Amino acid sequence: MSKYSKFLSVLACGAVVTSLAVGPTEAKVEGDTITLGAPLSFTGKYATAGKHTKNGYDLAIAKINEAGGVKSGGKTYKLAVQYYDDESTSARTAQLVERLVKQDGIQFLLGPYGSGPTAAMAPVVEQLQVPMVEGNGASRSIFNKGYKYTFAVLSTSEQYLAETLTLAAEWAKSNGRDPASLTVALAMENDPFSQDIRAGLLDDAKKYGMKVIIDDKLPPELNDMSATLTKVKALKPDILAVSGHSKGATLVIRQYSEMQVNVPILSMTHCDSADIAKNFGDKAEYALCGAQWDPNMAYKDSLFGSARDYANTFKKTYDYDAPYQSAESSAAVQVYVDAFQRAKSLSAKDVRDALADTKMQTFYGNIDFDETGKNTAKPMVLLQVQGGKYIPVAPSKFAAAKAIIPIPTWDKR
Amino acid sequence: MTRNRKYVFYGLIFVLALAAPFLAPDYQTQLAFLWLMILFALTWDIMGGQMGYNSFGNVVFFGIGMYTTAVTQRNLYFEVEQYVSVSGLVDAVTPSQYVTGMFLGMGAGAILAVFIAFILGIGILGLRGHYFAICTLGLTIAAGETAGGIDYIGGGSGMVAPVFPLALGEKGIFFYYVLMTLAVMTFVVFQRLYSSQFGLAINAIRDDEDKAEAMGLHTTRYKAVAWCASAFFLGAAGGATGNLVGFIDPLDVAFAGSTFGVWMVLMAILGGKGTMWGPVIGAAVFHITQELFWTYLFGWQRVALGALIVIIVVFFPKGIMGFLHHHWPQLFGQTVDEASSSEREGKA
Repeated sequence: MSKYSKFLSVLACGAVVTSLAVGPTEAKVEGDTITLGAPLSFTGKYATAGKHTKNGYDLAIAKINEAGGVKSGGKTYKLAVQYYDDESTSARTAQLVERLVKQDGIQFLLGPYGSGPTAAMAPVVEQLQVPMVEGNGASRSIFNKGYKYTFAVLSTSEQYLAETLTLAAEWAKSNGRDPASLTVALAMENDPFSQDIRAGLLDDAKKYGMKVIIDDKLPPELNDMSATLTKVKALKPDILAVSGHSKGATLVIRQYSEMQVNVPILSMTHCDSADIAKNFGDKAEYALCGAQWDPNMAYKDSLFGSARDYANTFKKTYDYDAPYQSAESSAAVQVYVDAFQRAKSLSAKDVRDALADTKMQTFYGNIDFDETGKNTAKPMVLLQVQGGKYIPVAPSKFAAAKAIIPIPTWDKR
Repeated sequence: MTRNRKYVFYGLIFVLALAAPFLAPDYQTQLAFLWLMILFALTWDIMGGQMGYNSFGNVVFFGIGMYTTAVTQRNLYFEVEQYVSVSGLVDAVTPSQYVTGMFLGMGAGAILAVFIAFILGIGILGLRGHYFAICTLGLTIAAGETAGGIDYIGGGSGMVAPVFPLALGEKGIFFYYVLMTLAVMTFVVFQRLYSSQFGLAINAIRDDEDKAEAMGLHTTRYKAVAWCASAFFLGAAGGATGNLVGFIDPLDVAFAGSTFGVWMVLMAILGGKGTMWGPVIGAAVFHITQELFWTYLFGWQRVALGALIVIIVVFFPKGIMGFLHHHWPQLFGQTVDEASSSEREGKA
């Protein structure tokens, strides 16, 4: 035993010594490779979405390298990426950014997954003065602090379900009802992303004069929302809007079908990443889903081709349908490539300035950043599960079919 | 150790600590977090180690300090309305505003944390053993959920601390020294406390509370003071950490019971609870090991951390200090008369 414990103590000392001698730093635009960096959720509550994000980044980087790489200042570079696991917690994300920049010498960052981690990352990149292009942090708190180094390709979260109320108002008018007579139920996770969606919906409801009769906050450890659904059953709102990432989307479909809750309009986020159409079949029919992107949209670029081409390439590579989280992550990489090619040099400052001037179309949508770094050129789209498929129903520019409202009651389905 | 050698030892450590951010400039933030971990372990140990009250609720005071500081900084220099609105753009603060806001906030946070520790202490320090532990665990969860429900402090959306002004130099160095000062203060104050009558009293509470009470000690008073001391430093450290991280999430950063709340217990136990240097050593070993796991055992870091915890509990039940004490008692000024004992064995 004493020999053994001596061995253990030597081991412990060894660990301390190695830790003090951890390698030096080097700049990460070395030779012909530009290394991007991202803290991502490989474990924890955002693990699934984190995987979609990683696949999006990886696919774009592989495609760009395949097509010959990035041309900047007369030189051609390959792209590489360095990931760390932030375990879906914001505190960890902030620390990992410092590690990527200071220890690994990375000057160009891609965003993490989720509004919380992105909101934690933004002040750090601002302080370190290295640019971040992100595709998965939609919370408005990222865009009202005057950050100059954060760029987001996606639409901000208060727009996620905005089209729902527009659709509802149109439906009311066509039935000779006053939109102000509609009632709204909200069940929103208590996190930065969903609370912004709630804020957006409250603003819109006010605009139409709609009354919000249920306004529930769902806990982040979401595994039951029957309390909210019982209220919906009793108060019979016209619209039920739910946001709780993939877990929330799965939960609401399961419990609302089990409890046979009838509501004319059911709208939510993250349907495609939770793949409710495949996992729940008929039960998921008629659900409206706010989405950042859809393969039916008419955007294209020279790297991936059209939105549909991207979806096909993605499916071939990863063997599942491309969720919009992957699409916006791929687009973030494309925005970097475009900026590298236009930048005066590959310094963080010059690339940041080039990013601010971005005006391009990708398969994911048009990209044009305003002074706060958010993309103002791309609208959200509202999908509806129809016949087991996600069909765009709003805005009318992208609609492939008419939205089916109201949802037939359970005894008629 | 003789008195002189002790001072040389402290001096060396102090000089090394002062120079550390310049010796390893790339690791400033991690080193700043190391001081935070040391402070966590020390403030837990006064309750769990010296007094025998295992608290899982200490992280509550950390979160209170963090929110108080952020609110102070926001309310001093911004309109609350503008800060939470969708379209309003919030400009950066000046360096002097930043420093004033942060230190005022840290002071306010520490005072509020002490106040709340006192109120809570009167209520629940009458509980003993497992009941106290479970009750404090509940406090942490309740605090996180409550903070997530208050819109004034951002609710579930969290709060953002002002951006660190560039004119103040390197953010890592600034927070390194702030957290180092707090951790050193904690160490010195606690060392004073432990060597006074107060230390004997809380040790007596740990060893036999009923007897201590029978001897005339106002045990609840001592317990409340110990918790307040712990809360004071946690509150101040919370304020600094909120600014260091930059984003305050109620569950992930402020009232992070499943990370910080558990780590503080682990670090104190790893180093050896109820000793002065144990929590410090435990925090250092834990933090460094954890950072290494994150870098080199990508994807398996939590498994490795779990294995480490099992190893600690199985092989070092009394922590590193206990292990050292057992094997090399002479390091602690105890002499072992080996010759005579072997002679005695020889005779037998």
